[in-house]
Amino acid sequence: MTDTQSSRLAAETATGGSIVDVSFTVNGSATSVTVEARRTLSDVIREDCELTGTHLGCEHGVCGACTVLVDGQPSRSCLMLAAQAEGRDITTIEGLAGPDGELHPVQQAMMDAHGFQCAFCSPGFLMSTVALLDENPDPTSEEIREELSGNLCRCTGYQSIVDGVERAVKIMKGGSK
Amino acid sequence: MSANTSGLVGQSVKRVEDDRLLVGNGRYVADVNPPGVLHAVFLRSPLAHATITSIDATAARRAPGVVAIFTGSDMEAITHPFPPFAMQPDLYTPLYYCLSSTTVRMVGDPVALVLAESRHLAEDALELIEVDYEPLDTVASIAEGLSPTKPQLWEKANGNVLYDHVHTFAPGNESVDAVFAGADRVITERLSCPRQSNQPMETRGSVVEVDPDTGHMTIHNATQSSHMLRWIGAALTGKQSTREAAKGIIANKERRKAFLAGAKSFLKENAEGLKAQDNDGMKSQLKADKSFLKHANLIGVGLLGKDDYPDVVAQDIGGGFGAKGSIAREDVALIAAAGELGRSVKWIEDRVENLMDGGQAREEDLTLSIAVDDDGTFRGLKVDLVIDQGAYPGFPVGAPLASAIMKVMFPGSYNWDAFEMRSRIVATNKGKYVAYRGPWANETWARERMVDIVARALKMSPAEIRLKNLIGDDQMPTAMITGPKIDETMSTKKTLERALELLDIDQFERDRDTALAENHYLGLGIASYHEAAPGPPGYWECVNPGTETLLNEEAQATVETDGSVVVYTSQMPHGQSHETTYGQIVADELGVAIEDVKLVFGDTRRTPFSILGTGGSRGGPIGGGAMKYASRAVREQLVDAASKLLEADVADIEIVNGNVHVAGVPARGVTFAELIAQTAGDGFEATRSYRGKGDGGWSVATHACIVDVDLDTGKVTFPRYLVVEDCGPIINPAIVDGQVRGGVAQGIGAVLYERATYDDDANLQSATYMDYLIPTSMEIPEIEVHHMETLSPGGENDFRGVGEGGMIGAPAAITNAIEDALSPFGARITSQYLPPTKILELAGVISPD
Ligand code: FES
Ligand code: FES
Repeated sequence: MTDTQSSRLAAETATGGSIVDVSFTVNGSATSVTVEARRTLSDVIREDCELTGTHLGCEHGVCGACTVLVDGQPSRSCLMLAAQAEGRDITTIEGLAGPDGELHPVQQAMMDAHGFQCAFCSPGFLMSTVALLDENPDPTSEEIREELSGNLCRCTGYQSIVDGVERAVKIMKGGSK
Repeated sequence: MSANTSGLVGQSVKRVEDDRLLVGNGRYVADVNPPGVLHAVFLRSPLAHATITSIDATAARRAPGVVAIFTGSDMEAITHPFPPFAMQPDLYTPLYYCLSSTTVRMVGDPVALVLAESRHLAEDALELIEVDYEPLDTVASIAEGLSPTKPQLWEKANGNVLYDHVHTFAPGNESVDAVFAGADRVITERLSCPRQSNQPMETRGSVVEVDPDTGHMTIHNATQSSHMLRWIGAALTGKQSTREAAKGIIANKERRKAFLAGAKSFLKENAEGLKAQDNDGMKSQLKADKSFLKHANLIGVGLLGKDDYPDVVAQDIGGGFGAKGSIAREDVALIAAAGELGRSVKWIEDRVENLMDGGQAREEDLTLSIAVDDDGTFRGLKVDLVIDQGAYPGFPVGAPLASAIMKVMFPGSYNWDAFEMRSRIVATNKGKYVAYRGPWANETWARERMVDIVARALKMSPAEIRLKNLIGDDQMPTAMITGPKIDETMSTKKTLERALELLDIDQFERDRDTALAENHYLGLGIASYHEAAPGPPGYWECVNPGTETLLNEEAQATVETDGSVVVYTSQMPHGQSHETTYGQIVADELGVAIEDVKLVFGDTRRTPFSILGTGGSRGGPIGGGAMKYASRAVREQLVDAASKLLEADVADIEIVNGNVHVAGVPARGVTFAELIAQTAGDGFEATRSYRGKGDGGWSVATHACIVDVDLDTGKVTFPRYLVVEDCGPIINPAIVDGQVRGGVAQGIGAVLYERATYDDDANLQSATYMDYLIPTSMEIPEIEVHHMETLSPGGENDFRGVGEGGMIGAPAAITNAIEDALSPFGARITSQYLPPTKILELAGVISPD
């Protein structure tokens, strides 16, 4: 635990706030943290686990930038308390590429399609797309637009992102993953 | 010398940025956590207009984890107010501090800053600060801003109208009124655009890192302009007693000399521009409020007396669209607080704050009169514009600059005999008005809306009346009635002709009939315009004399001793993919692969100076031009050295894939590193600054869309949306398409979904994404982008900006299409915001409440 974390916890305890121990798996590694009970999963992923690829765009459940997979299901980590992650298996954008850095087909496809601009929204879109293709490996473009409508992007007008998903479908059908 | 050896310019090269961004390795400001950093939150006013009678932070200061609290008066003691910038005749710019101490003027006005061990603890402490407010009557609309009976927001202003000026352009023998009197008819309409907000997906944020040993500050910030933040940050937080400052000035003799030498050379280099500056602007400011002079002096003395200036390091930024071009009040408060405490501080704005105070735009009333002959010939244009600036002027650019650009661009690409525009700016108790992607865009919306209204009155088609009045190639070169030069790059008429070819009008008419059976009404809308991207030489002198000096961009290109290519820009990318497009330009110039080029940006310790950073569609033309010429100069140095080493003529030296050789014998070539080693150099380096040289400078487009209006629900969809754009030669087509589509998406949002809403007492009603609706993938259609790449006749670097145009054209094309769809009901569209209820009202399906 860093000094910053311990002084934060000490101060929190002084307010009477409760502290919890939580254990979960992040991108395949078993992780245990001691945190304030009111801390969200997104805060813990970003600050305690130091995985800053997950972004916060609204912190009220609308923009989808904070989407991570919890037991394979896309979930808004800004709306979950860290304590709710007890025993769960969490995947973030840092967990998509292979161990030798080989891009996940969805990442590769988004790169090929010029999917993003500022890319602040990209962790949410990537995780939602992985979940979508897991459930439905061959979606129509209508289905893609429908499924991704829970993620906001302010830069692209979405067309390049939809193109990216369609390319990912092709790559994945081609059997590279 | 052959320049484009690798030929990357013009190709949809994959983005260099994606290597880090798509794997979660971006470094946005929220990702920066210096050791021991304190977390900042602001206490904000719940009332739109009130006097603060007392503020007591005693209990909050004792709360667990709280390290410090600053109130408005604490900040007034250690900071300067924001000064006026780009003063104009008849404009008053109020001065204001980073926190408010005696009066709050908007919901969300910051009144105290809390610093604590965590954001939660800081937020807990907010509730313990006791503020007593005495509510004041509010100014909640443009009408109230114009009303003399409402309370005044700014003591030293004359009412709430802060600017009122008439610009007249009648180059012929006739006055504007005579032109109007001589025309067959005059058609007038009042149009209004409600408030919108930029809403980048990343909110604002700043981390001021303080070196515990030296006290030196490094500001990590989501800013569109790192150098401006550095200097304004230093200037406004450099408050010292005169005695302290004097001591500092004496002690820092060397720095003082360097500073004065820098200022002197700036004045010399820019003498012409500065001379052109309008001194009447300064007179207007001083007539209302002399305090600026005192503050300006103190700011100057404070800067000279300071031991050290902060540096700014801005890296990945999650969009800005103009909102991050402002220096925020919060930025100043954080720098001051970090300086006082000697500790690092971090503030990441939340979305509710961003919707309140992260920047709003476009709230404007526009009354237009067009004098026209019965055959459709435009004669004269009169505009009466009122901008609602909200409570605090955006710094440095906001409503005054938007109105100054509109005054130049309103006539658009048409011929006119006369033009007159009255502009007013009012203060109201709402969020601050900032530049938003094409800050002048409502000139295009209002004019193109009005052109359709005139066409309907004359029973002409919208295309016919445009083609009749647009300035064509046969008239070029010429000038706009407002001054800027026009050459063939102002290709508006050609983009319209192309769009008309691409539209299948007969098919549209058939679809229109079929749709009726299902209570759907189809409509077709077009809008044509040119925009300054960044405008031809002399353009900015027409907008606001003296500002052309600010346009400059500088780039540095280097080949280091190990042979690596590192280039430095004063641009501040925030989604535009500069690393890729500049990489393409440099790779082509130097004959290397794009992977071999590293772009350094955003770090004031390393990048050349520019006050503006990224904004104003200057990245391609000006920043890209500087980059091209800096790398070309380095190429010349490489070739020169190689010709000596290889004993060959300069003209015979080629560089391919980083191999420098005599043409035809690559096997006997050398790498950059070998060349440097063997010619005993320290590497190569060149710096170039660029401002555009006869490059046309216009970006042009016609938008054409077909809307489908469902009269059961009021929902509007787009069976077809096409853009024919001309930004000159394209560096990277995929990136250009992305910029255009993103802009159109914001235009669709503006018309159908987005509105920053306030009630009658100026309380914000749209403080979350449940109420401020950003369109999703379900609402934005496929957008066809067609390119024309007109070259300028005399230019030398023909890239033109493309970041703003999508948003400029879309609201006009969409509202025109909706009026066309609802023409069976005689609907007249005068508002830019058309949610479903409004659509149903216009069609008479429901009645207005
Ligand atoms: S940050 Fe979680 S949905 Fe926006
Ligand atoms: S790419 Fe910027 S928000 Fe999506």
